[in-house]
This record gives sequence, C-alpha cells and structure tokens, in this order.
Amino acid sequence: MSNSHLFLKSGFPRAPLQNGLGRYVCQLQRITLKFCKNNGSSKGMRDFIENHLVDFAKENPGIVVYVKPRRHRTPVLVGEYLNGDREWLSCRNSTQEEITKWVDLLRTQNGSSSSLRLRKMWHTDVPSIQGPWTPFLLRSPEAHGQEYPSVEASKPLDAPQTATEKLIELFRQQKQLGDEDVLSQKRAE
Amino acid sequence: MSFLAQTVRQVLRQAPTRSSALTGAMRSLSLAPALWQQNKPATADAAIDVAAIAKDQQKECQSICERVNQQVAKMEQGRLFAVVHLCGKQFKITAGDIILVEGYWPPTIGDEISLDKVLLAGARDFTLIGRPILESGLVTVKATVVEKTLTHTKTHFRKKRRKQYMRINFQRSPNTMIRINSIELARPVDASSEAEKEPSRRLF
Repeated sequence: MSNSHLFLKSGFPRAPLQNGLGRYVCQLQRITLKFCKNNGSSKGMRDFIENHLVDFAKENPGIVVYVKPRRHRTPVLVGEYLNGDREWLSCRNSTQEEITKWVDLLRTQNGSSSSLRLRKMWHTDVPSIQGPWTPFLLRSPEAHGQEYPSVEASKPLDAPQTATEKLIELFRQQKQLGDEDVLSQKRAE
Repeated sequence: MSFLAQTVRQVLRQAPTRSSALTGAMRSLSLAPALWQQNKPATADAAIDVAAIAKDQQKECQSICERVNQQVAKMEQGRLFAVVHLCGKQFKITAGDIILVEGYWPPTIGDEISLDKVLLAGARDFTLIGRPILESGLVTVKATVVEKTLTHTKTHFRKKRRKQYMRINFQRSPNTMIRINSIELARPVDASSEAEKEPSRRLF
C-alpha cells in the first residue's frame, strides 16, 4: 500500500485574502496551453483550441490565456494563481472533453490543491457565540451550593411513592386530625 | 408555536419556579428538589390545570418574543449563528465562516446562494429552534461559492492474502468551498403565526 498520504501536508480550509466576503475574485491568473501542431497526442488539445478556447477567454476576461505550439512534445496545461502556485498538467492523448474539464478545474480552484489533506470541513473565526457549554449551564442556582454526598441528590428522579411511605403519610394525616376526630368519625359510621 | 425562544438568563433566573414549562427531559436532568420533579398522578382537575398552563405558556412565549424583537430592533443582538442543512450535512455557521461540501454539487464559483434549510438560529441571548426547520423567510443566510476543487489523491487498496488478489485504485472527489456572507433575522419573531397553522401532512 502506498504510504504517501501519511507524509502529505495537512491543513484546514482557508480562502485567500478574505475572498468572497465583499466580492469574489477568480484566483487563476494565467493559463498556458502547450501543444504540438501535428502529433497525434495533441489532437484533443488542438480540438479544444479550435472550438472552445475563444469562448473560454471571452467568458473569463480576468484570465490571461497563452497558447504555445512546440514540435513533437506532449500537450500540457499550466495554470498560475494569484497566490504564486503553479499547477502543471500533462494532457497526453486526452480528448477534447477531458481537456475542457481540466481547464474548468484549473479555473475554479484557488491554488494547486493536490498536496493538502484537509483535517476539517469547516473554518470559523468565532467558535462560540453563546459561550462554551459547562455542566452548570441551565441548572438551578441551588445545585451550585449542593454538598456531596447527599441523600437527596442520590435518589432517582422519578421514584414513585412506595407503599410504606403512603402508609406513613396516612398515619400522619390521621394524627393531625387528632384521635378524637377519628373516633367521632368511626362512631358516626 | 414552532420554536422555543428563551433567553438564557431568564432560564437561569427562573429555573426553580417554572417546572411546568420545562420538558420532561429537562426535568429529569435538572438537579432541583425531587418534590416538583416527580410526575404527579393525574387528578380530577387535571384538565383545568392543563388549560391554565397552556395559557401561561402562551403568555410567556409572547413576552419572550417581544423581548427578542425589541433586541433586534435596537440592533443589540450581536452576532448571529445558525445551524443549516446542506447536502445531507449540518453545519454550525456564523458570518465569515468557510464550509466545504463534499462530492458533486452543481453551483460554480462566484455564485451567491441562500441557504434555506435553517434548523436553528441564535444570538448571545436567544435561540430560535425549528421543528425541524425554521419557517421560510424568518432567517436569511447568504453565502458565496469560493472554490471548486478536487481532494488530494486518496489510495484505495485491497488485498487478500494467499489468494493472488490485489487491487489498487486512486480517486479524487470534488470539493466545494463556501463562504458565509451574512446571517440576518428577516422579520420579527411572531409567537402566534405557527400556532394557528395546521401541522403539515406528509404525503407518500
């Protein structure tokens, strides 16, 4: 198994220069298409240049497009970005559609992306607005002064009244009423 | 009432006195005396109690909503945050955040989008909770697509021992980076707006 990803640089998502906060600026500065005029491996590149390159340049006025013919060499795409990155892509024997996709990728990314493993899918400057959670959040103030161990706090919260407790309560009620009243009630019955 | 708007301070202050408004889960979690934590057996006058409690809750909700609206009107609410549902995942975001959507996703760079599935929105002193999402138009979350790129090359390697079986595949999946521009409360919070509405029916 390839262990190359173990030594890959890792990082967190960042956008250069607060991009997208006010307006969006395309980060691709210039793109260079190198190809051969008669070699078969450049056929797709030649098709792309004939059919789509002018449209691409018109749609993206911010990108400088260079076309560089050279004899008997493989076709190559090179993108240069505002952050100084340079992405080199070999397009040997690739078709026109593939080249369209690769050019689109070069256009839409912010720099060469292949060498960074992302550790998070989220970046924020303000991690918490209501404050971080603590165990005392939304608890009654009485709970703060609680001393442990305590019998009260050790009880289960939803324990029903036991039969013994019921009997004791009944007995207390009777005591409150007084023995005489109970006796009189019984007599009346 | 589709959301529960409660100031944190108010909850802290009034926690011991309002057992009825807290849900069962909250009640079982709180460390208050056991007397009013127990679910008391239903008595004959339970129906009257329920109506009174509902009225109380309605009144309380109204007052809370008013306070939230006052705060928003005075622009004192500070920074807002929201939990949005986007492409099968939930993100907790605030203005200026960057989030990444994994996999194929059509919007391209420079597109300004609004995230409509807001599950929760909150500020320092209040939180609006949706059931499951807040009603549309209450909170507007605006975002810009900043980057569409591919991940690093991931290696997918499988091997079976003693079976002469070994495959190695490499893959890169698309990623989209989104910048959150703003989170705003579009209109005042209204307690009664959803109480009257019938619960939406699910049709299959």
